[in-house]
Amino acid sequence: MLRDLSGCIVEQFTIRGVLFLMVFCCLAVIARAQQDTSIYQLKAVEVFGKPAEVFAAGSRVSTLDSSYLRTYASGTLAEALQTRTPLYLKTYGASGISSVSFRGTSASHTAVLWNGLNIAMPSLGQNDFATLPLSGIGSVAVQHGAAGAHYGNGAIGGAVLLQSPEQAGKGIGAELQQEVGSFGRYFSNAAVRYSSNKLTVGASGYWQEAQNNFTYHDLGRFGAPETRQEHARVQQKGLTQDLKWKLAPRSYLAFRSWYTYTHRQLQPAMGAAANKAEQLDKNLRLMAEFGYTSRIGETTVKAAYFSDFLHYTDVSNNSVTDINTYQLQAEQTYTYGQSWSLRGGLSLQHFAADVQGYGGQVSEDRAAAFLLFRYDPTPRLALSLNLRQAFIKGYNPVPTPTLGANWQFMNLGEHQFYLKGNVSGSYRVPTLNERFWRPGGNPLLKPEEGWQAESGLRHTYSKGNFTLESEATGFYMLVDNWVLWAESGFGYWTPLNLHKVRSQGLELSSRATTVVGEFRPGLSFGYALTSTQQIKSYEGSAAELNRQLPYVPLHKVTFSTDAAWRLWTFTGNLLYNSERFTNNNNSSSMPGFALLGLALGRQFNLGPGSLHCTLRADNVTNTEYQTMVNRAMPPRAYTLNLRFIIP
Amino acid sequence: MKRFTSFRSIFMTTALAAGTLALSSCEDKASRPKGTYAENAVLISNEGAFTASNASVSYYNRNNGTVENNIFSKENDRQVLGDVLQSIAVYNDRAYMVMNNSQKVVVANANTFKAEGEISGLEMPRYFAALDNQKAYVTEWVSFDNNGRVAVIDLNTLTVTKTIEVGVNPEQLIIAGGKVYVGHANGDFISVINTSSDAVETTIPVTHGPSYLVVDRDNNLWALSSGMKDWRVDKSQHTAGALAKINLSSNTVTNTLTFASNTASSGRLAINSSKDKLLYSYNGKIHQQDISTNTLNSTPLINRSSNSIGVDPASNYIYIGTAPNYSSDDWVVRYNTTGAVVDSFRVGIAPNGFVFR
Repeated sequence: MLRDLSGCIVEQFTIRGVLFLMVFCCLAVIARAQQDTSIYQLKAVEVFGKPAEVFAAGSRVSTLDSSYLRTYASGTLAEALQTRTPLYLKTYGASGISSVSFRGTSASHTAVLWNGLNIAMPSLGQNDFATLPLSGIGSVAVQHGAAGAHYGNGAIGGAVLLQSPEQAGKGIGAELQQEVGSFGRYFSNAAVRYSSNKLTVGASGYWQEAQNNFTYHDLGRFGAPETRQEHARVQQKGLTQDLKWKLAPRSYLAFRSWYTYTHRQLQPAMGAAANKAEQLDKNLRLMAEFGYTSRIGETTVKAAYFSDFLHYTDVSNNSVTDINTYQLQAEQTYTYGQSWSLRGGLSLQHFAADVQGYGGQVSEDRAAAFLLFRYDPTPRLALSLNLRQAFIKGYNPVPTPTLGANWQFMNLGEHQFYLKGNVSGSYRVPTLNERFWRPGGNPLLKPEEGWQAESGLRHTYSKGNFTLESEATGFYMLVDNWVLWAESGFGYWTPLNLHKVRSQGLELSSRATTVVGEFRPGLSFGYALTSTQQIKSYEGSAAELNRQLPYVPLHKVTFSTDAAWRLWTFTGNLLYNSERFTNNNNSSSMPGFALLGLALGRQFNLGPGSLHCTLRADNVTNTEYQTMVNRAMPPRAYTLNLRFIIP
Repeated sequence: MKRFTSFRSIFMTTALAAGTLALSSCEDKASRPKGTYAENAVLISNEGAFTASNASVSYYNRNNGTVENNIFSKENDRQVLGDVLQSIAVYNDRAYMVMNNSQKVVVANANTFKAEGEISGLEMPRYFAALDNQKAYVTEWVSFDNNGRVAVIDLNTLTVTKTIEVGVNPEQLIIAGGKVYVGHANGDFISVINTSSDAVETTIPVTHGPSYLVVDRDNNLWALSSGMKDWRVDKSQHTAGALAKINLSSNTVTNTLTFASNTASSGRLAINSSKDKLLYSYNGKIHQQDISTNTLNSTPLINRSSNSIGVDPASNYIYIGTAPNYSSDDWVVRYNTTGAVVDSFRVGIAPNGFVFR
């Protein structure tokens, strides 16, 4: 057993080495080719498909349906991903923090990018998805599986890609939204936009309050009485602003800002004392982007400033985290006709952290260089080869490559068959908390390393108005030097590179749409089988080898439908999570649960604008469930939403 | 609590032995304690992980070796016992589970583990000791840094009738000779409460941090002090822990055995069935100390760190709970009197105490 595992590690590094060499060989070839081909007209990389997928040939990227985002605009990214993707979201009650798990990995194994820049909280190395609103976000794409070369630090299990809205149409537009729901929930949103040949401007603001004073059976009290949830109020507000100014036909300047404010009462576990825990999150994200197209391709430079403020209090704690992040990312993309594209880039990050737990100011610089290469030898075959090397003083992670391919191997009229796959490396460098927290911070921690292979089959069918798109993907992933906080033996906790984890599974998805007269139905199905275990342990007695990791459901199923008929719209979401273990040795678990959500909407045309009324019901079957042990979740809830849109 | 459990155990063992005799002679089943968890019971308190509300109680049948975990939830329609089970005490067939971060004591029938009620209104409660059928005492930290208190409990109504202010972080308590002796995890003395007046009568100065208490066969109180080990203070300023021997007639310290190291941690204290050998954890190992020896035994009996120590008064087997990681279930390992491993079994998360019935 042990020999097999060490063999695996050796193999892993050999493959990394080979890929590394291959990337640099390609680079040399391209550098020479570039001199000969500069006379050719350059085209935007979009010729290859969606921007997120250009350099991700052979990987699985899904996007959240835009009609879903419109219907659930008052929700958070946590709710959207739980409902519409095979990801598992662990939520500490109705008001609590929410973290995501891709392919069995932990919350810090997901990279979240906002317009291409990583926005993970540097102290925790992860994002609280309950503080990321859908309001003001243009599109959400989900990269399943490792993509360290492409998205950098933390993209071990996957990445969530958020893009600001693209303005469609010229002129002025505005939108007003008001929502009221069960358990004291109110939501207001206003957005304006303007677009001309030279300038595109958009801004939106939202405000939300939820009391979350639902009733539940308190299993932590004698006799499990029906109890009204107290101390779960959430207040959120935020602003987004996007400006894109075309300086010249070939250059633009963009400024984007995103401010989110979340003040929450954190709901205690059933049976635990009401400790009056509250958390205030204030996140300001500003970025400036300059783009220029020249004979040598597209140049993009992004400069960003993020301010992440977190204030946690309870009866015996008062902790402030205040971190400023400065980022600079420069990219050069060169595209040759329809056959290949090369992007090289450099990313610099500077963190200045003022965190009580560190006992003073802490700063850190990180850099990364990356090369992304896409090559289509024939229109039916797409290849991508990516490489990233991160540099951090004292603990450089190993280089992370990705090699992917997407091959349309069969074309039978209406049926198209594709074979796809990729092999990719990933890494996560220790977070500031893991290094500097006192007591316990461990400066000797090694970066985590991931290695993944996946392969899939994609089928599309199109006849008349009917389209069917299906995909089946199998994956195998190893994550080594997995960091966990463990009791140090001195009365405090310390992070250690505790084990090696293997995750393997199968993902199925299918989407069918058609148009029958005025009826436009769409149906989606998703399934994920995720088997994730420790296969090696480096320290002492914590080993629970070959058992499913806690909070990773073996099965997750989603069904959803989006249908429109004349001025009516209908949305239905059904999700099922199987049993989830709550400890490492799998002796305790939470039962599986299914949740059903329904929404019915009608549009009324009023003068130049239109009014959209939507009635929503969440948890229709009134299921009592938990996603985090002993945290009560809301029962059936109703929401009425009014949206007035001026085109 | 350890001494208390030993005392209880002897009483229970005697009662059970007498009961068994009675049974075998006249087969009077009505006099047997009835319930799934009544026979040959070792109850193990599993602390659980802080804020996860996954504390639990395990039942070990020391006659046939069967283990039943999470018995409170099993017997009470999947109810949650609570957050951080600090300790269990059993008195008159009632089990009192002190739920540190649930601000309450959960009361269940000790034989069936059916819930019977709760004592609420407690702040950071730690340990429980009953005086008689009417009255019990619970130590409460109330806060981390300020004086704590001892709550006086009416066992009929399961309510707090009075609170008595004591020192910082009141920990284990023991009732002897009509007095309650209260140790402090962060104080330099033991508080003595008169059970007639329910007021502090005197304090006995000892080495800093006397958290653990037992009474020996000669009616001496033994207190295990941790020394000052605050991680916020540089280690060079830490002080050594000690074992103090206190004469219960005069309430004076008659001997102090100070540990060699200023930085090594110490904790947990148990006594064997003949009440002449102390067992405690020091520097990550388990040591045994004869009560009549005036120097500390520097050779450990068991070369293993532990989260709890108990001695079965029936067999003198030593029970230890393994050091927890709070994310998987831990083990109880049994040792014989020579310190050799007998066997082990898996319980809940962070086993921190034993009640032998």
